[in-house]
Amino acid sequence: MSDLAPDPVSCMDADFEHNTKANAARRRFLQRIGVMGVSALTASSLPMNVSRGGSLLAADIGSSAASDEPVSGVSSERRWGLLIDTSKCSAGCDACVRGCHEEHGIGVSGNDHTDAQWIRKIDLEDNDSGETMSLPVMCQHCETAPCVDVCPTGASFKRADGVVLVNKHTCIGCRYCMLACPYKARSYIHEPVTDQLSRAPRGKGTVESCTLCVHRIDDGQNLQPACAVACRKDAHSAIVFGDLNNPDSEISKSIREHDAKQVRADLQLNTAVRYTGL
Amino acid sequence: MTNTIKFVLLLLGLSFTWVSLSGERGPVIPQGKGEVCVADTDFMRRNHMDLLVHQGDDTVIRGLREGPFSMADCVDCHVRHDDQGKPIRIDAEGEFCSTCHEYVAVSIDCFTCHAAVPDAKEPGSAHNNDHESDKNHRHRLAEQP
Ligand code: SF4
Ligand code: SF4
Repeated sequence: MSDLAPDPVSCMDADFEHNTKANAARRRFLQRIGVMGVSALTASSLPMNVSRGGSLLAADIGSSAASDEPVSGVSSERRWGLLIDTSKCSAGCDACVRGCHEEHGIGVSGNDHTDAQWIRKIDLEDNDSGETMSLPVMCQHCETAPCVDVCPTGASFKRADGVVLVNKHTCIGCRYCMLACPYKARSYIHEPVTDQLSRAPRGKGTVESCTLCVHRIDDGQNLQPACAVACRKDAHSAIVFGDLNNPDSEISKSIREHDAKQVRADLQLNTAVRYTGL
Repeated sequence: MTNTIKFVLLLLGLSFTWVSLSGERGPVIPQGKGEVCVADTDFMRRNHMDLLVHQGDDTVIRGLREGPFSMADCVDCHVRHDDQGKPIRIDAEGEFCSTCHEYVAVSIDCFTCHAAVPDAKEPGSAHNNDHESDKNHRHRLAEQP
């Protein structure tokens, strides 16, 4: 269990450096906007309703520039993860995959070589005993993520709450991360994409993988990823989502109780996706 | 050249300048929904790209999705519909984004990844509610004195 807690020293250093840089850039930007907002307001004799637009901007952003408190958003107090009970997962069922595709607007062209795969269903068979097992494998949201290490642009990154993402604004599509990932969790988008959903921007030339449904996490109300919801709807309930940093959360308790394992624990990546019955 | 010809040429030149100044300048941009944008129009014209980049970082890195400058909100307000009521891509010819961008010859990269039309309504879904709360958020901002 102790390996679930992130290493406090290295985390703090990295976070601190990232935050200071980010904060400085943010402050500069906010100051600029503040000034621009005010000048836009004073320099012109605008009709009442339009100048209210200007004042709203100065008030809204300027005030958050004044205080150094973060507004809300991602916090390192939590680390999100999944627990998959392989005894409840059945071969031939792909409800989680379909749920994920629907949530993120991933169309299936039928070309297995190029279609994006955020979750793969893996069927295993023990050659000696003949025992079979089926399990979904998605991005394992490694604490020490190889994809983040190798990314030349910083596009692969780990959010403060442990979710590993691709920032598609800076991804150059080099695919180093795909080579580095031990779980084959990432897909490159080969063809132009149309009909995206506003909650899931995606396009040609970038790499993508499971986001743990960050848009739902950030929303704060609908706190279950699409795969877990789809699995429960199909009456399997093999996927549990929760906060690994909270020892009293359902997921943490089950992990302790059932001695859940990491896939390729030997790599010491401290994954946020755990499996029971492996 | 005689003085008369010079004078005539000067007059001609002046009248050209006058015509081009008094004519319609710049592209005609379709109106968005509602009375006001999230910020002053001149300000938005000059700064929307910085605002969007900043909002993008906030959303992707810091998980802040509530800002007033979200791409989805821009699309929501500025999208137009065809005769059948189907939304027209906001980057299609003659639509909100492309009208200006074509005029200034700057290509738009946003919509290779971002949705260029609002999400289809899914009745009773949580995302519909998100959408509603976004709208309320915008109203709240607009109502501030
Ligand atoms: S599973 Fe692969 S993509 Fe996900 S964090 Fe680990 S290395 Fe990166
Ligand atoms: S494909 Fe994108 S995310 Fe992956 S290593 Fe290259 S730049 Fe980074």
